[in-house]
Amino acid sequence: MGKKELKVAFFLAWRSLVRGNRSSLFLNVLIISMVFTNMIFFPALMNGIGVDITKRVVDYQISNILIEPKKGNDYITDLGATLGLINGLPGIERATPHYTLGATLKFRGRVLGSTISAIQPREEKYVSPLSTKMIAGSYLGDTDEGEVILGTGVAGSPNVLEADEYSPSLGGVRVGNAITIEYVNGFKKEYRVKGIFSTGVFELDNQIFTTWGDMEGVTGAKDRASYITVKVKPGYSDQAVKTQLLQYGVMEKVQTSLDVLDKSLGQNLASFSIIGFISLIVSLVIAVVVLFIVIMIKTLNNRRQIGILKAIGVDRTVIMNSYGFQVIIISIAGILMGFVFTGLLVLYMTYYPMVTPQFSATPYVTFTDLAVNGLILFIASVIAGYLPAWKVARENIQDVMRG
Amino acid sequence: MIRTQGLRKIYRMGNVEVKALDGVDIQIGKGEFVGIMGPSGSGKSTLLHMLGLLDTPTSGKIFIDGTEVEKLTDYEKTMFRLYKLGYVFQDYALVPELTVMENVALPAMLRADRTEQQYKAATVDILSRIGLCDRRTHLQGELSGGQQQRVAVARAIVNKPDILFADEPCANLDTENSRMVLNLFKEINREMQQTIVMVSHEEWHREYFDRVIRLRDGKIVNGEK
Repeated sequence: MGKKELKVAFFLAWRSLVRGNRSSLFLNVLIISMVFTNMIFFPALMNGIGVDITKRVVDYQISNILIEPKKGNDYITDLGATLGLINGLPGIERATPHYTLGATLKFRGRVLGSTISAIQPREEKYVSPLSTKMIAGSYLGDTDEGEVILGTGVAGSPNVLEADEYSPSLGGVRVGNAITIEYVNGFKKEYRVKGIFSTGVFELDNQIFTTWGDMEGVTGAKDRASYITVKVKPGYSDQAVKTQLLQYGVMEKVQTSLDVLDKSLGQNLASFSIIGFISLIVSLVIAVVVLFIVIMIKTLNNRRQIGILKAIGVDRTVIMNSYGFQVIIISIAGILMGFVFTGLLVLYMTYYPMVTPQFSATPYVTFTDLAVNGLILFIASVIAGYLPAWKVARENIQDVMRG
Repeated sequence: MIRTQGLRKIYRMGNVEVKALDGVDIQIGKGEFVGIMGPSGSGKSTLLHMLGLLDTPTSGKIFIDGTEVEKLTDYEKTMFRLYKLGYVFQDYALVPELTVMENVALPAMLRADRTEQQYKAATVDILSRIGLCDRRTHLQGELSGGQQQRVAVARAIVNKPDILFADEPCANLDTENSRMVLNLFKEINREMQQTIVMVSHEEWHREYFDRVIRLRDGKIVNGEK
């Protein structure tokens, strides 16, 4: 097919669109744009939930690299030397230890089982944004003794009945209140609530933190930790830093955030991906079927005209391409409109995310997602549009002219 | 110019065979204005469609300018129609989304031997001849039946075809518009030595034809001057 034939095919397509039924054209474009938006939006939302959960876990719980005691040990021993080694390596922003101990909390008749985490408050600032999430009181200082900070989930609210609570709490603890903590080792101590934080992460908002020094007083043990979280400097890969840690003789169990997430959240994230993929396929099938029907109806309505065009010497490839061009134009317009709809939805949900106790979802869309889905929809649309045109254009002139 | 040998077209309607053409032998010379007449169902349109390569005969041969057209491939037939034949249909068969100018120019746009300037000049020339140049930007819906058929005639002759086929072009027109179209055919026939083969069932159209081929039950009854 030559340039001239393509030019005529495009000419016929363009005239048919701009001088044909405008509302029908608009509806066709709208359908494609909605299909495109659906193709992008739902998987992007699933993706966004995955990204949000991952970010929260990395930010507040395990950082980029998690170092746990090697098999058979309950604690990382020789902590000072281990931290010194890790913090001296290139690519490490900061390594900070955590010590956890089970305890029972008591406040005005409420009793709550929990885990107390000891942190080095100043060091913790390098690996976790916890210090920026205080909603009442203040963050811990390194030398604080007998003080704790706790999440909103533990603090609870005096306005919610115990029976109505989503998870058990202390029923409305405020900054300055005293709570009693009985550790599993039998140590009992009264603490003043120094601050209350809210991270939006369910697990974290149900935690209590005290200082490293205080915990040493409780356990009597020094130079050991339950686990170490390591923040990696920008530009360094977690995997490369993990390899480096092992090469430099860190004998504990070293895992990147991806290793940990694969084990703990891998199934969930994979489920999100599957749901997103199913949604993509359904959207694509809808697009193909709709376009096939639209072009089929159009070609059936225009059967006689197709016959006339063939009769006056217009080759069938020109006729097929003219319908093909119509589908191409409708698809491109629909995809562009879908870009706009998707952009507006993402923008809206960036400011007003879908918030649940487990996640805060904002659609996560990359340019690659847009380009790949746009291309898939485009190819599917063109095939769906060409098929009926090809079928009618191949028919005998007399058959199609009879309509 | 046109010669047929033993042309037959048989349609099957269930178990019944209908002989639309039953051994038609005709010859039409260059520059002739020939009418094909006969009662309904006599095979007039079928014969025209066979001659115009719009349908294939069950058996028999058709020669146009010495070419046995039935041996052409589908694509070759399309090109043959584009380069050598022109058509006027009963219901005008214009493309509603195209203007008068675009409808007329359409067959010329596809010809490899026409530049854009050439086909535009030819279109304006032909529209001037039929008196519709001032309507060239109008769409089909803005024209009367007579005007639409004149546009269809202009489209048929814009490529200066060897043969112009017309299938009852006046069937949807009143007498005045019919005369206008027939006068146009006669004028083209005389001035351009245009071969025209036209199907008609109106006896008064005979005055325009050089010759009438009369059919009945798929057979030629007579070919008269």
